[in-house]
Amino acid sequence: MQSMAALLTTQLTRLTPVDILILVLYFAMVIFIGFYVKGSTNTSEEFFLAGREMSAWVAGLSFVSANLGSLELMGWAGSAYQYGILAMHWYWIGAIPAMLFLGIVMMPFYYISKTHSVPGYLQLRFGEGARGLSAVSFGFMTILMSGVNMYAMALVMKVVLGWNINFSIWVGAITVAVYVMLGGLRSAIINEVLQFVLIWAGAALIPILGLVEAGGWTNLKAQIAHNVGSNDYTHLWSTLGHFRDNPMGVHWTGIVFGLGFVVSFGYWTTDFLVVQRVLSAHNLRAAKMAPVIGAAFKMAVPFIVILPGLICLGLTNHGVPLYHLVGENAVNAAHPYSYNEVLPLMLIRYCGPGLLGLGITALVAGFMSGMAGNVSAFSTVWTYDIYGAFMNKRASDQHYVAMGRWSTIIGMVVSIGTAYLVADAASIMDYVQALFSFFIAPLFGTVILGMLWKRATNAGGFWGLLVGTASSIGMFVYTTFGGPAALSRIAISADARPMAETLYRALWSWIICVVVTVVVSYMTTPKPEAELAGLVYGATPIPDDGAKSLWQKPIFWAIIVITVFFILNIIFF
Amino acid sequence: MAEGTGRGEMLSIWFFVGGLTLVYGLVLLPYGAWEWFFHHEPPTVLNNLHPTFWWGLLMTLFGAFYTLRYRPRPGDINKT
Repeated sequence: MQSMAALLTTQLTRLTPVDILILVLYFAMVIFIGFYVKGSTNTSEEFFLAGREMSAWVAGLSFVSANLGSLELMGWAGSAYQYGILAMHWYWIGAIPAMLFLGIVMMPFYYISKTHSVPGYLQLRFGEGARGLSAVSFGFMTILMSGVNMYAMALVMKVVLGWNINFSIWVGAITVAVYVMLGGLRSAIINEVLQFVLIWAGAALIPILGLVEAGGWTNLKAQIAHNVGSNDYTHLWSTLGHFRDNPMGVHWTGIVFGLGFVVSFGYWTTDFLVVQRVLSAHNLRAAKMAPVIGAAFKMAVPFIVILPGLICLGLTNHGVPLYHLVGENAVNAAHPYSYNEVLPLMLIRYCGPGLLGLGITALVAGFMSGMAGNVSAFSTVWTYDIYGAFMNKRASDQHYVAMGRWSTIIGMVVSIGTAYLVADAASIMDYVQALFSFFIAPLFGTVILGMLWKRATNAGGFWGLLVGTASSIGMFVYTTFGGPAALSRIAISADARPMAETLYRALWSWIICVVVTVVVSYMTTPKPEAELAGLVYGATPIPDDGAKSLWQKPIFWAIIVITVFFILNIIFF
Repeated sequence: MAEGTGRGEMLSIWFFVGGLTLVYGLVLLPYGAWEWFFHHEPPTVLNNLHPTFWWGLLMTLFGAFYTLRYRPRPGDINKT
């Protein structure tokens, strides 16, 4: 991205006073909310878990919104231009089954164990070792990701609007620090719900007007086929029979097992950043419904992310493709725009003053929400699972709240440092994003065995997580420096491309984690069943969630969502 | 009930959602009308469809509904 910024001598557009007014109103609202809810964040339960009083709708929207950052939106819109409709898998099979599984199967255990965090659950189930490992890696990752979001926002503002990088970093950081420090998770959740509405308000016009310009979906598909010389870009499954048959260079086994099972389940069920939102629900039924509601909205997100990428791919001017976007390393005077600029380019194409401000505000809100989500999750894990667990176990509740506020500020300062570090070496950004994938897949192996298998022991959980994570890092290093030969071994095909590496690496590291956990567990003494109550399936009576009618049952809505999911996959097969 | 903002608070999270969209609608609607009726359309694709005006109208209606539906009323303080 940095090379792109350096090559672009002129900004894409500029804001008019009405756009600036819209942006300023958003900042004013965000700061106001921070001050408004400060009075309701006096206890640790209120500061770190929003008082556990959110409805299913609020928790559900916040759950899906925490993942809807601008880095993700712009990246996947670019991937849709690059790989076609295959990018949709990351929103459908790469999210929906896992979200429903979290709500229906896993949430009862998280909720009734009354844990404050995912590392907290690991402590209850596997002891301090697994908790410490998970908490330290998660805290480290979130703070780096917050910095990456900060830098990405500053860079987008520079490229699109010509804003000074330092200005964007500091304004964004100070605003987020103020509202998270004041209102904790409650502030973050309210802003995430606002951001969800804003993203739709700011981005929905792009696919609507794009489809009008293209003459409808059927015409758009024909234009894409004409522009790229192939029908492969508009089919979800029919091209996945072999690695070389599709633009992404993946195989259906990688999509189904690597993405749909390991990566997706790992992210949506064990990444505390998103799980924390659901833990804020006010009762068990709301906690089960929140991911189901989130899944329903998640299914609609490709409309504002994937479709703009496809529209950009299909637009023509007298039979010639209107845009020729390239990878960031290939940006030059003849091809000044990279894949990542699809959304801003489409925004500028269809949105004049006012609407442009709304779109930019949506992007800024997405970036700030990404920072806030990471910082609030960091603050919780630091306070409960590192500081409270290993440094100061017997402090007062007030002390922990104060520590939460201080760790928010310190977290933001470290994030700012990370942002400048990334600014100096853009490749760090890729590594930071890759770091997340090291931990997620093995963590899912540990948590799922912990919840579903009574025989899993403390030593099994710890060593499974450690060896699984180490194997993921090892495979990453191997494929990074081993060239195509290494990639072909990890992804089991000479035709595999880099995207396949992530999926198969996750799959292998998960399998390694599970195997090590099982073997070590059988070699060590099992935990008494009495210690597993409330933590493991089979040792825990699941309490009634209070649903009286069919309409109130989370499982009913989950079946509706999964049915729609299958229908959509068949339609776009 | 002041949902989502904490015990003892008057303003619901949905009131904030409605308020912000209503304000945005009230900015976009007159601006879009000015563009349309005084021929100041921006040089964007499909500007003949007057998206700023119609989007502003939609946001105004959406925002007004939520603002009114979740406006603070006496006795609405969340005590749960």
